[in-house]
Amino acid sequence: MAISHTDAKFRKSTIFYRAAGENKKVNLVLEVQGVSKLFRVQRNRPATLKELFIQRLNGRHPAAAVEHWALREVSISLEKGHSLGIIGHNGAGKSTLLRLICGLGRPTTGKIQYWGQIGSLLELGSGFQPEMTGRENLLTGGILGGLSRRDVEAIQDDIIAFAELEEFIDQAVRTYSSGMYLRLAFATVTHFDPDFLIIDELLAVGDSRFQQKCLDRLKSFRRAGKSLLIVSHDLDQIRASCDEVLVLEEGRVLMRGDPESAIRSYYDVMRQRTEKRQAQIGVPHQFTAPIQQGSRYGTQEASITAVRLLDGEDRMTDHIYVGSPLTIELEYLRLNTVSDMACLVGIFNENYTKCFETFIPSIQKASGELPARGSIRCRLPEVSLVPARYSVSVGLFPPDWSFVYDHHGHMHTLHVMNESGIHADVSGILMVRPDWAVRPLDPP
Amino acid sequence: MSATSHQFDLIINLARRNFFLQFRGSLLGLLWPLLLPIIQLMVFVFLFQRVVPLGIENYPAFVYTALLPWNWFSVSVLSAGNLFLAHRDLVRRPNFTPSTLAVVSALTNLLTYLVALPIVLVLLAISGRAITWTVLLLPLIMFIQAILIVGISLFIATWNVFYRDVQHIASVAVMLLFYLTPVFYSLNNVRREYRVPFTLNPMAGLVQAYRAVLYDGAVPDWDGLFVAGIIAIAAFGIGYLSYRREIQEVYDFL
Repeated sequence: MAISHTDAKFRKSTIFYRAAGENKKVNLVLEVQGVSKLFRVQRNRPATLKELFIQRLNGRHPAAAVEHWALREVSISLEKGHSLGIIGHNGAGKSTLLRLICGLGRPTTGKIQYWGQIGSLLELGSGFQPEMTGRENLLTGGILGGLSRRDVEAIQDDIIAFAELEEFIDQAVRTYSSGMYLRLAFATVTHFDPDFLIIDELLAVGDSRFQQKCLDRLKSFRRAGKSLLIVSHDLDQIRASCDEVLVLEEGRVLMRGDPESAIRSYYDVMRQRTEKRQAQIGVPHQFTAPIQQGSRYGTQEASITAVRLLDGEDRMTDHIYVGSPLTIELEYLRLNTVSDMACLVGIFNENYTKCFETFIPSIQKASGELPARGSIRCRLPEVSLVPARYSVSVGLFPPDWSFVYDHHGHMHTLHVMNESGIHADVSGILMVRPDWAVRPLDPP
Repeated sequence: MSATSHQFDLIINLARRNFFLQFRGSLLGLLWPLLLPIIQLMVFVFLFQRVVPLGIENYPAFVYTALLPWNWFSVSVLSAGNLFLAHRDLVRRPNFTPSTLAVVSALTNLLTYLVALPIVLVLLAISGRAITWTVLLLPLIMFIQAILIVGISLFIATWNVFYRDVQHIASVAVMLLFYLTPVFYSLNNVRREYRVPFTLNPMAGLVQAYRAVLYDGAVPDWDGLFVAGIIAIAAFGIGYLSYRREIQEVYDFL
């Protein structure tokens, strides 16, 4: 039986399966057809009846609404056992799409159909009641997730064990740390056996070991023939866990394809936005040095004026020894309109494979203020890369990563050498010192 | 598992959770649903048996039989404004039907009523009255009241999302309705020509019926109960229709 928002506004908390043979698309778990969503943002909307009456009495119609199409003609389909990633910049319509799929709100046009029970990791742990114990919340969560009381009671020990909360399960949830809270929430949702899971910016759950456990859980979920719909800013995670990726830009589906090409087109969008913005504001800072290699682009609202590679003694250099420290230092100059930014630093090998990358999401939060001119240093205590030629990329971005202030792509060269100065017989990326041993075995 | 039995599980679980949640962390705990109506009762007894005597025999039992259902009604209606607003997380959950919250709220407050009900036996025993078979009609009267409460709650919960005035209007209305409901006085105190608003007030009909089956040990006035039932069904219809019409807007708005 198919449920759609247009012909059956009211869904029930039950499991619906479309009868086999009714449709050729039996393998689909989700189909979104030509969905658009219009938000009317009304200024001076009457918040009380009094204001409504006064507006009417004055002969004023409610102030003209500003129309905003959050989604335009979006169509997606998700097959059983597949996982689809959605990427896009802030405001591209990702959350609106997820909310519509979850049945929160009705599309302005188009149709959403799904078959089976949705599990949602949107707003993880919402619905927990802080005064109740973990066990009581788990029971409520399970029943809300579509199980009967008896079913929840049967699997609750598994959930508690997965969340590693055996000692705390009978304490009020308000006493939990945020990690414990999320662990319980994640364990609860993923154990209720939904047919497909909706995941929004997942896996800030617990420590890295528990995150790995979550990823494993999602993998086994996929192996069991369930489907995933993942929205994330973490492109590496998207690359690792999706069969297909959809790029949303300004409410439209820009492309759908394999993760690699989708991520490329995501970067293209970033470049286009940057160029558009650059055209609007002109060039505030002139490039100081000519570019010898790599590429540089950005609006230059915050501009990288110098990049220096420093060795362990803080001397400028372009070559370091394997395993020795490296400091990447950049100086910048910003306009007054830039109040915060993110800084990205990465090392790539000659095939442009990323060897290492790190970023600060908000310099303001990290250092308390953002000087008009300043330097940012990133110290790497031990660079264990195989001896070879590498390039360093640095970039400054607005905190929502929607475009680029200044990006130096592969512009700076770094040579990594071993102590004798000659390349040894190792290859790859990571430098591990090999120690060979050959021994004869006694005849049997 | 069928949809109905699952919905039943859900409602029971949420109602039980909300009921116990009210008393979590309080020293007296479950004594509160007993204490509150007794305190109210003492005030009424003092006022209308001593200060302004109304001359009703066995006054404590008389008031108490009407006070409990009135509290059920007023607490439910007064809290209805926040049903969707305060449970945003539940309303926004996939596979959750928001109207469930109105049923849960009615049921939670019914539990409070049921906990305090046995005291009626004590009060009747003191006054030398006996319980008769007519108490078996209680579930019917409660059912009618539940329909009324769910309907009104759905209406208030839905419109209050858009206009916060609704809950203020509701609290004024509940306060006025209290005086038009024969809780602390008898309908016999009211002259015939003033009876019209009492006929149209479903709570008056219901309170009279409760009092008949518990206090008088008699069959309720079927006509009055019938009118109350019709009004309850109408309220439910209006409440449910406005909920249905506006729920998608509620999602967008929350």
